[in-house]
Amino acid sequence: MNVFIDKGEFVFFIGPTGAGKSTIIKLLLREEIPDKGKITVGDTDVTRLRRWKTPAYRRSIGCVFQDFRLLPNRTAAENVAFALEVIGKPKSVARRVVPEVLELVGLGGKEHRYPHELSGGEQQRVAVARAFVNRPLLLLADEPTGNLDPDTSIEVMRLLDRISRTGTTILMVTHDSNIVNQMRRRVIEIENGQIVRDQARGVYG
Amino acid sequence: MRAKYVMSEVFLGLWRNISMTVAMIITMAVSLTMLGAGLLLYNQVDVIEEYYQTNLEVVVYLDRDIDQPTTDQIKADLEASGYAAQVKYESQEEAYDRFKETFEESKDLVASVDPTVLPAAFRIKMNDINDADKLIADFSEREGVYQVTNQRDILQQVFDILGGAQRLTLIVALVQGIAALMLVANTIQVAAYSRRREVAIMKLVGAPNWFVQAPFVLEAVFAGVIGAIFAFATLIAAKFLVIDGQFKDLFSLMPPISMQSILLLLPILTGISALISAITAWITLRFNIKV
Repeated sequence: MNVFIDKGEFVFFIGPTGAGKSTIIKLLLREEIPDKGKITVGDTDVTRLRRWKTPAYRRSIGCVFQDFRLLPNRTAAENVAFALEVIGKPKSVARRVVPEVLELVGLGGKEHRYPHELSGGEQQRVAVARAFVNRPLLLLADEPTGNLDPDTSIEVMRLLDRISRTGTTILMVTHDSNIVNQMRRRVIEIENGQIVRDQARGVYG
Repeated sequence: MRAKYVMSEVFLGLWRNISMTVAMIITMAVSLTMLGAGLLLYNQVDVIEEYYQTNLEVVVYLDRDIDQPTTDQIKADLEASGYAAQVKYESQEEAYDRFKETFEESKDLVASVDPTVLPAAFRIKMNDINDADKLIADFSEREGVYQVTNQRDILQQVFDILGGAQRLTLIVALVQGIAALMLVANTIQVAAYSRRREVAIMKLVGAPNWFVQAPFVLEAVFAGVIGAIFAFATLIAAKFLVIDGQFKDLFSLMPPISMQSILLLLPILTGISALISAITAWITLRFNIKV
């Protein structure tokens, strides 16, 4: 398959289970390396990226998952700050940026809650905040609404929409037909590893 | 800031897995103690060799019924042989005095020995102790010579015992060392598993590899250093309690093991232990969990 996604686009990947949607995410994160073919993100040829250069590459990408992947023993603010901490940003940066981002995702006032004290939607927003705090060029979302009820899902989608408007490219893998239909963004449908549809303002089908 | 985070992770990791940590430190300490003892013995053999090299003598014991001309002839031949740097005659009386002096504390033994039993002898300082065998071959069959002994042959037995002890300590050190390294590998795997969530997130947000690996590697290094310190303490205790204590008489036969050479072991053991632990941890991380 061959696909080009422009900077700032918002793209849905849909398709049945096992079609290869999540594999795309893994390939883009360089968790897996393809046997053949070529993947380029910005100027980086991901397929030929050296192992030791992977961390630097991943900093230009944000990632959100169905299961949130937050650290249970850290507060919302600490979870977001962790992303800055581990790449060596000074604490002063975290103090300035973290409240801003949490405010942006609508969690102002809940910085000091632990994940288990937050609802699913709120936890996912912490995850989005963590993914976005480094201002990535590309945000990958692997079924981010998979564990959320419809109303909460819509809130998270509004958030992703706002992030998209800042110029961040968003790639979202989903099974949620309502969301795809409401958003009216580019839809790429995959089956057995092949693109069967690529529509500019598509619906779930 | 990051250093603080790494250190807190290290101690948390060791504490969470305390029984394994203790096992790891104990096996390392035993292994390093043996290694240290082996190194000391190795050093000791050198010291003894040097100590005796200059003092070693070949002794030509004479028959008790030897007459004066034969004695003079042997002396002249010894001096003419070219092997001897100095030939000293020891009469039967002198031999008895020396015997009394040596066994000063065993009055019964001294009393039971007849002064005439001890043979007169020539004590020879060699030009080169390695020529001793030639001298022995030349003189041992001579008329009036009872026996020729090389003090180095007696010393050789001491060396053999030391060499055996040294091999034993090194084998134990090796076996314990392997066990210790397996425990390190295991501890690291358990630690990495219990922290897999943090590790996954760190990798996801692009933490550098060294940062992800550092807490695990430092855990191993920390255990290695503690093990080395225990081993060092054990060796110090052994010096004071065993060598200078209970078995003082036995060990006084050889030159003392100096405090300096034991102190030198601290950096050596710590360095070896820390380095090998770190490498083991790093390899474990690389191959088993691909951090």
